[in-house]
Order: sequence, then structure tokens, then C-alpha cells
Amino acid sequence: MKLILTGILAGLLAATAAHADEMVFTSWGGTTQEAQTKSWAAPFEASSGIKVLQDGPTDYGKLKAMVEGGSVAWDVVDVEMDFAIKAAKDGLLEPIDFNVVPKADLDPRFTTEHAVGSFYYSFVLAWNKGAVSGEPAGWADMFDLTKFPGKRTFYKWSAPGVIEIALLADGVPADKLYPLDLDRAFKKLDTIKSEIVWWDSGAQSQQLIASGEAAFGQLWNGRVFALEQEGADVGVSWNQNMTAADVLVIPKGSKNKASAMKFLAAATSPKSQAMFAEASGYAPINTAAKAEMPADVVKSLPDAYVDGQINLDMNYWAENRDKIAERWYAWQAK
Amino acid sequence: MSGNLLHRQPILRRPDGVGGALPALTLITLFFVVPVVALLLRSVTEPVPGLQNYATLFGDGTYARVFLNTFLVATVVTAVTVIVAFPVAWMLAIMPPALGSIVFGIIILSMWTNLLTRTYAWMVLLQRTGVINRTLMDIGLISQPLPLINNLTGVTIGMVYIMLPFMILPLVGTLRAIDPMTLRAAALCGASPFDAFRRILLPLSLPGIAAGGLMVFVMSLGYFVTPTLLGGTSNMMLAAMIAQMIQSLLNWGLGSAAAFILLLVTMALYALQLRLVGAKRMTGGI
Repeated sequence: MKLILTGILAGLLAATAAHADEMVFTSWGGTTQEAQTKSWAAPFEASSGIKVLQDGPTDYGKLKAMVEGGSVAWDVVDVEMDFAIKAAKDGLLEPIDFNVVPKADLDPRFTTEHAVGSFYYSFVLAWNKGAVSGEPAGWADMFDLTKFPGKRTFYKWSAPGVIEIALLADGVPADKLYPLDLDRAFKKLDTIKSEIVWWDSGAQSQQLIASGEAAFGQLWNGRVFALEQEGADVGVSWNQNMTAADVLVIPKGSKNKASAMKFLAAATSPKSQAMFAEASGYAPINTAAKAEMPADVVKSLPDAYVDGQINLDMNYWAENRDKIAERWYAWQAK
Repeated sequence: MSGNLLHRQPILRRPDGVGGALPALTLITLFFVVPVVALLLRSVTEPVPGLQNYATLFGDGTYARVFLNTFLVATVVTAVTVIVAFPVAWMLAIMPPALGSIVFGIIILSMWTNLLTRTYAWMVLLQRTGVINRTLMDIGLISQPLPLINNLTGVTIGMVYIMLPFMILPLVGTLRAIDPMTLRAAALCGASPFDAFRRILLPLSLPGIAAGGLMVFVMSLGYFVTPTLLGGTSNMMLAAMIAQMIQSLLNWGLGSAAAFILLLVTMALYALQLRLVGAKRMTGGI
């Protein structure tokens, strides 16, 4: 019964599945997916003759339903790296064929058997200059309600980032973050909980800061970059910026696996990565990409701010994802 | 005699509607009954067979709080909706029909406008830097923005606004059926307007209030968009929690169990409604 139903559901989802010499790329929408379409999909279509259909936003529940129902409509999906590690373990992903996808120049931090990097980003502290008097210097200031009153915005979902920010603000040294002391983190977060506004999409984080609805917050650097490009009056601190990565995966049972592998090869090539970085403000995961980029773009990327930079531990998160998520949502609902 | 009647029944019987209803029944079976059964199965088979998902939902303080909060929000929304809807419904009931149909049209029109659009409009109005707070601060009534969003206030305002037509429509039906002479009679007997309302109008309109109220309450229980956009995480409702379990935690067993409980509660309330109001009166009233 369950199987039949999952089948029906997956069949409905797959109604949009691609035909031969087509494939479906799924990502998070907004300015990021626009940049991916322009920098990766368009040149790939021109060189390979394979049409890339865009879908989104990425939905882990949907991905799981497709794989379990055996009717996979997505061929390449942009996901957060900790999810990819967990999903590979749960058997939801195809292994990457590194005979098709050249591995040599890929940043090993973001390459696994079942995933190649998509881009990497930093969480930075951004603020609306009109809504904040003075300049917040680092994460600790986000917890200082007397010096910096007003609403602050953080990423809503259970994911690497906010817990680490709370621990750093509470004085935990950067190299002693893991294993995460959840009790301490939530205690620290409790002190500002009533002043937190959560953002659940990149677009919302931009809107909150640009309008001054939240005075400051933890944002993806690419979204701050886009705000600056639009001329919004925002400040940004890269102090203790935290890197995490999105990766590209192929759901198990993809109908266009061969095309998907070719797409991965194209998307992770130095040229495509350089183009994407320029368009989005996110960093390339191909180490040869920098040579293809203008110097001022290189200067604006997360790897220009390695001083004090913290790499969020994706393996730790993949291992403890469920446990942390349970506590996270319980704490939020309190 | 009775044997005779039984014998004659097939002739007297109305042509049955089963044939004509077949497409609808098939649709409902395929897209409602079957998925609901699947949901129930998932909730008792994942990750292992047993009732552990239900035990988690009932045993955990967090989930209990979300359940409670869901009922609290639905209750507040229903109560406020009744209070706001009653005068409107009364006005509609006693208005000249031509004018009444215009007001009716406006109410119906609001129902046809996209839900998401309407909710986003409230966000723009209610937020700290929104129209309401800006105006109040500009005219000097307040110095700090009022917390109108990301809390129960925001959810209540947004949901009452969306639920109003569902309360007004059945209520107008009931109020129109009340003989205006009863109120005049009360006045002649010396009842003050308030007494006439409390002892005549209110009791007579109870079936409409009950019908609309239960509908609003049941709809509020499962609401997702408005509480998510206008509420905060600390007043999360059941539908948002289910979405979280399915999409973020990938815990479909637990999500299914929560969804099934929501369905059971909804059906129980519907049964109660049938009992209290009577199916005929209820559907007739709407």
C-alpha cells in the first residue's frame, strides 16, 4: 500500500520529468539560481545540445519522495553540504563518476563520493546603516542588547551557523567549537530570543535588512553583495565569517544520469565557476577559477577574508543533524 | 400492510444518484481516502512498526505546546471573528436588498483574491517599519513601534480577516430567517435594545454562530500560510510543525502521525457540529 502510494505521488511529481537530451536542474530560486542558469546552464546547453530545465526550490522532502517512489524528476540538485553527507548515507544519491567530472582542481573540502561543490559562502554580519548607530564589530555585538538595541535576524532552519555564532559570542575559542555545547548555545540565544526575527529564505533576509525591519543579522555574503550592488545602505563585518558550502548531487534513480554527470563537469569547470562567482559574490569551488576572474571580484569573495575565518564542520553536522534539529525546533517553539 | 409498503418501495424511490456521483466519488477515493489511509499506515510503520510516533507526540512537551497553541489560536480567531462578523451580518440582513448585494459582492470579492497576496499585504501594514507603525509614530501617538507581527496579534489580525466571509455568510442566512416582529414585540414589552439582543436575537442566531464558528475554528486549526508569515516561531501551529517534520527533519512517520491527529480532531469537531446544528440546517444556512 505504502509503496503504491509513494509511487502515485512520485508519478505525479515526475510528470514534469525531462525527455531525452533534456535534464532538470533544481536549486533555491532567486538571484542565486539566476546566476547558476546564466553561468552554468546556458553555456552547457550551447556546447552539449542538452537542454537544461530549471526547477525549484530545493525541497529535501520532495527529493526523498522521488527516490523512494522510484520516479525521479530532478537530475542535478543544489543542496546544503551537511544534507548531502547525510543523504548519501541514507542511499538517496548516485555516486559521482569522476571519469566524467574532472576532480583534480576541485576543492577537496567540498568533494565527496556523492557530491561535488556548487559554491561556497560565508555567513557574515550585515546591518542597515540607517537603523544602527555605530558599527557592530563581531558576533558578540549581536548579543549586546544595550549597545545595539533592535531586532536581529538569523537563519530559521536548523543548519550550521547560528549555534556556532552563539558559542563564539559567549567566548568559546574558534578551535574549540566542536563538539557543539548545545546547552551553552541555547542559553546564550535565550538572552536575545525575544529580539530575534527569523529569515527562511535569502530574499527575506535581504528584505529585512534593506527595510530596517531588522537592524542587523547573519546573512549569506552573496545576498549582502547583491544588496550592495543595488545600492542599499548596508554595512558588513567579515570578522569571524563562517564558511559553509552548497554541493551538487544526483538523486538516486535519475533518468538522465549521463547528462547530469556532464552537467556537473561543466558547472564545476574553472570558467563556469568564475562566471558564477562574479555574478553571485559566492566563492568558486574550483581552485583554478581565480585565474579566470577580475582582481576586484577575487577581493570581494569569502577567500579574501581567511583571517579569523571559521570553517563550519559539515561532517559533525551530518553526523548530528537530526539530534540538533530536534532540540533546535523545540527551543524555537518555546 | 407493511409488507405491501416494502414491496412498493422501489417504485417510490427517487432515481438514485450513485451513477452521477461516480466521478466525484472516484476522485475523493483516489485523492483523499487512499492518501489518508497511507498517512495512517506511515504513522504506525515508520521508522519501525508500532505506536512510537504517537507516544512521542503526546509525551513531548514541545509538541504538546504546539497542539495547545494551535487550539489557542483557533479559539481566539473564532471568538474575534464572531464578534466582528455579527454586526456586519446583522446590517446585511436588514439592509435594502440592492445595497445588501453590493456589500455582499465586496465580501465575496475579498474571498476570491489570492490568499498569499492578502497575507503579504498585512505584512506590509503590520511590520515595525510598516504603514501602521510609521503613521502612529509620525503623528506622535507612540515612540516605539508596536509589536504587531511575528506574534499572536499578527496571526489573529491576518486570520480573522481571511475567515470573516466564512462567518458572515452562514450568519446572514440565520439572521434573515428571524422574524423582525419578534424584536418589535420585545420592544413593546419594554425590553431595552440590549435585552432584546441578549434574550431574542442572540439565542435565535445561535445556529448560525455555531455553524460559522465551527467552520472557522476547523479551518483555523489547519492553517499554514498566514501563521507562518505573520506569526513567530514561539507560537507555531500544527500545520507548520508538520511541514517542518516532512521537509526539514525528513521524519515522515512523525509528520504523518501529527497530520492524522489533526484530521481526527477535525472530524470529531465536524461530527459535533452535525450533532449540534443538524446537517440540514447547517448546509441550508450556508
